[in-house]
Amino acid sequence: MITFTSFPAQLDDYDYGATRHPPEVEDDIRMDMDEDDLDTAGSRLTCPGDYITSSQAFMRGHGTYVENEEVLASVAGTVERVNKLVTVRAIRTRYNPEVGDLVVGRITEVQPRRWKVDANSRQDAVLMLSSVNLPGGVQRRKLESDELHMRNFFEEGDLLVAEVQAFFSDGAMSLHTRSLKYGKLRNGQLVSIPPILVRRLKSHFLVLPCGVDLILGLNGYIWVSKHVKESEQEGEEGFDAEAVYSNQNDDIDDATRAAISRVSNIISILAGHFVPLTDTVLLEAYEWVLDQDIAVKDLIQEDVGDALVTAVVGVQE
Amino acid sequence: MRPPSPSIPEREFLFTALKQSLRLDGRSPLEMRTPSLIFGPEFGWVECSLGKTRVIASVDGKMVKPPPERPFEGIITIQSEISPMASSEYEVGRTSDEEVTLTRILDKILRRSDVVDKESLCILAGQRVWQLRLTIHCLADAGNLLDCACLAGIVALKHFRRPEVEVIGDEVTVHAATERAPLPLSLHHTPFCLTFALFPESTSSTSSTSTPVIITILDPSLLEYRLATGFLHVAMNAQRELCVVQKAGGVPLALDQLLPLIKDVAVTKVRELDAFVESRMKDDWEGRRKLVEVS
Amino acid sequence: MASRIEILNEGGYRSDGRRQYELRSITIDLTPQGTADGSALITHGLTQVLVSVFGPREAKMRRETLHDRANVNVEVGVAPFSTGERRRRGRGDKRILEFASTIKSTFEPVIQTTLYPRSQIDIYIQILQQDGSVLPACINGTTLALITAGVPLLDFICCISGGVHSTHPLLDLTTLEENDVPSVSVGVMPKTGRVVLVSLETRLHVDRFEEVCRVAWEAGKVLHGEMRKAVRERTGGLVDAMGGVAGAGGAGRGGPGEGDGDERMVDY
Repeated sequence: MITFTSFPAQLDDYDYGATRHPPEVEDDIRMDMDEDDLDTAGSRLTCPGDYITSSQAFMRGHGTYVENEEVLASVAGTVERVNKLVTVRAIRTRYNPEVGDLVVGRITEVQPRRWKVDANSRQDAVLMLSSVNLPGGVQRRKLESDELHMRNFFEEGDLLVAEVQAFFSDGAMSLHTRSLKYGKLRNGQLVSIPPILVRRLKSHFLVLPCGVDLILGLNGYIWVSKHVKESEQEGEEGFDAEAVYSNQNDDIDDATRAAISRVSNIISILAGHFVPLTDTVLLEAYEWVLDQDIAVKDLIQEDVGDALVTAVVGVQE
Repeated sequence: MRPPSPSIPEREFLFTALKQSLRLDGRSPLEMRTPSLIFGPEFGWVECSLGKTRVIASVDGKMVKPPPERPFEGIITIQSEISPMASSEYEVGRTSDEEVTLTRILDKILRRSDVVDKESLCILAGQRVWQLRLTIHCLADAGNLLDCACLAGIVALKHFRRPEVEVIGDEVTVHAATERAPLPLSLHHTPFCLTFALFPESTSSTSSTSTPVIITILDPSLLEYRLATGFLHVAMNAQRELCVVQKAGGVPLALDQLLPLIKDVAVTKVRELDAFVESRMKDDWEGRRKLVEVS
Repeated sequence: MASRIEILNEGGYRSDGRRQYELRSITIDLTPQGTADGSALITHGLTQVLVSVFGPREAKMRRETLHDRANVNVEVGVAPFSTGERRRRGRGDKRILEFASTIKSTFEPVIQTTLYPRSQIDIYIQILQQDGSVLPACINGTTLALITAGVPLLDFICCISGGVHSTHPLLDLTTLEENDVPSVSVGVMPKTGRVVLVSLETRLHVDRFEEVCRVAWEAGKVLHGEMRKAVRERTGGLVDAMGGVAGAGGAGRGGPGEGDGDERMVDY
C-alpha cells in the first residue's frame, strides 16, 4: 500500500495548527472574557456567542443579541460603547449604509422609473428617476419621454457616484445624484476595498497632485480617474447633458494613465495590509513610490508592498 | 414556485394548541396515526397508509449478471419519486428537498443498514444474482411521507417471496410457484422510521432563564410538517439498534432533550410497530393459506 | 466486510497512532479568497475543505427572495481528485444535494437571517481532500467563513464525528475507520451546549449511541476553543493593522490637519 503524507503549506500569518485530547484539556473558553471592563472597550475583541455584558444595564446595538438577559456578540469584531448603547463592529463585512454617505455604485438593472445599483451592500440600492439631474436644467420637470429614455442616462454597467438619500422599509437604500458633483463616472478605473477601511473624511473627492482625482465611496468602491479642471466640471447654467451622461472617455495621456495605475495599485496594497485609507497616507505612499523609483507593475509584488506599508505606517507613528 | 406557506391564523392556532399539548387531530403529542397495511394479491405488493398519507411499495426480482467487483452479492435498487400526484407542492422534473431527504433516508435505512442479506441473493458466483427492485410510489401526502414510505418499503421486502432456484453444475433451474413454494428473503433486521417534528416554544417572557422548552410531536400531519422548525428522523429496529439518526439542523436541542426521545419514545414505538407488522403479516399469511387449500 | 486492519490495538492506539479520544491536527486559514466576503480553509488531518461566503447580497433569483429574512443558499462541490479513486460527481448527485441541504438547514437557525430581508447569503463549499469526517469539516469551515464574512451568528457550530469500535468510542474518524465502524456526526452550539446536527448512518445500539454522542459533544467544545482562537487571532491582527494608522493618529488627523492637506493638494 502506498501511503501519502501531506505537508500543508504555511499560507500566512493566520495559519496555525494544534492537536488536542478532549477529555484532558480543561475548558478555557471563557478565559479572558469574564470581568473585562467595558471602558477599555477600544481593543476588546469578540467572537459570535461571547458574553459582553448584562442586558439590564446596557442597550444592545448592532452586532449583538440578547439571550437570558445577557448581551452577546453575534459577529467577530471590536466592542464599542456609546453611553448605554453597546455595539460590536464587525471587522470585515459588507457596507452598512447611512443617510448622507457618499457611495460609488454600478447600475445592475433598469426598471420602471428607477435604476438598481450595486453598492456592495446587502441589497442593491435604488436610484429613482426623480432623484437624478436631467439634462436641460436642474429644475426641469420630468416628462414621460424621460422614462422611455432612461438608458440614455444610465444603462446597465455604468458606474456612478451618488449620495444615500433615505431607506426603504426593508432596509434597501435610496440614492440621489442631485448635485453637480455626482453622476456618471468616466476617465478612470475602479478599485474595491473592504468598506471599513474608508474613513469618513471632510471631503471624499480628493485631488492628488499627480493629476489624479479620487472618489472614496464609503461602500469601499474607489474611483481613480484623470483630474478634471474645476472650471470644466462646474457651471450651474451651462449644465451640459452631453458631458454629464457621456460614455466617451476624454483623451488621457500616458503619464496620467501611469499615475492612475500607480494610485490604484497603492490602494490595493494598503487594503491588502488592512491599512485605513486617508488622503495623507495615500500621498505619503505616492511620494515614497516616486522616491524609490518603483515601476508601476512592480508595485504589486509582495516585498515591495510590504516595504511600502512599513515605510508609510512607520512614518505615521 | 414556492408553495404558499400556511396562513398566519392557522399557524397561530396550531402553536397555541401545541403549547397546551393539544394537536388539531386530537392525538396526544407522541401518538402516531394508526398505520394500515393492505397486501396485494402478489407477493411484495403493499399499500401502506398513515391517516390520509398513502404509499404503495412493490418488490420484484430478476436475475442479472453481478458487477465484477462484487460477484457474490445480489443487487438492490430503490426507486422513489414524489410525483405531483401526492401533493400539488411537488413539481415534475425538479427534485425538491423533500425528495432528496426521502430518497437518501430510504437508501440508508433499507439498503445501507444491511436489511437484506445480499449474499443470500447470489445464485451462481459471478454469473447470476438476484436483482431486487423496490419501487416506492407516493399516492398522497398528508404529512410524514417518509415514515409511511419506509414502513411500506420494509413490509414489502418482508412480504416478498422469490421463486426457488436450483443450481446443478452451471445449469440454473427456476421453479414456478406451483411446483415449489417460493422463498422469503433472508432479512437481518426490520428497521422502522419515526419522524419527530420540533417546535420551539415562542421565546417570550417565559424564557428568561434556562433553556427554552421544545415541543416535540411524533408523526406530524401535513400542517404540522409545514410549520415545524426542525425534524428528527430516527430509524431503529426492535432489537434497539439504531440505523439512522438524522437531525439536520432546525431548532437546536439540548442533548438531554434529544436522547430521551431516542432511548425511550422511539424504542417503545418501534416495538409496537414491529408487533403490529408481525400480526398483520401473519393475518395475511393465514388468509393466503386458506386460498391455497381451496384451490 | 471484516477488515484486516486493527482499528484499535491492545495498546489503545488507532491505526494512525492516535489515542481513542485524540483529534487529528487542525489547521485553519482565514485569508480572503478572491472576491469572497469571507472564506476559510480548514483541514482535519488529511481532510481539507475550502468554504467561501458571499453576501448578504442582492438575491440573483427573484423568486427565491423572502420578504422577512435572508435566503441561505449552499452549494457543495467535490473535487474529483479528493478521493483515492478519481471520480466525478455531477451537480444532481443526491448525496451532494443532501449534503448541501443538511448544511443549509444547520445554519439557517444560527444565522440571524431576519436582519437581512430580501437578501441572499451564498455559501460555496469545495471539498478538496477527503479522509473521513467530511461533513464535520464542512460545517466547521462554514462557521468560520461566515464569521470572517461578518455575518451575524448566534453562536459557533462545532461539529465532530465519533464512532464506536466494539464498545470503545473513538473521535474524529478517518476514511479507514469510517468504513469499518459506525460513525456519528454531532454539531454543537458551544455557548448553550445544544445540538443542531446529529447524523448516524450505520447500525449502532442505542446505549452505544448515547455514549459516543456525549463524547462527541464534549469534543465539540474543545474544537470551539481552537476555532475561537483562530478567529480572535485574525480579528486581532486586522485590528492591529488598522490601529497602526487609525487608532493612534486618527484623532489628531481628523481635524484641521486634514483641511490643510486638501487645500495644499488643490493648489498643485
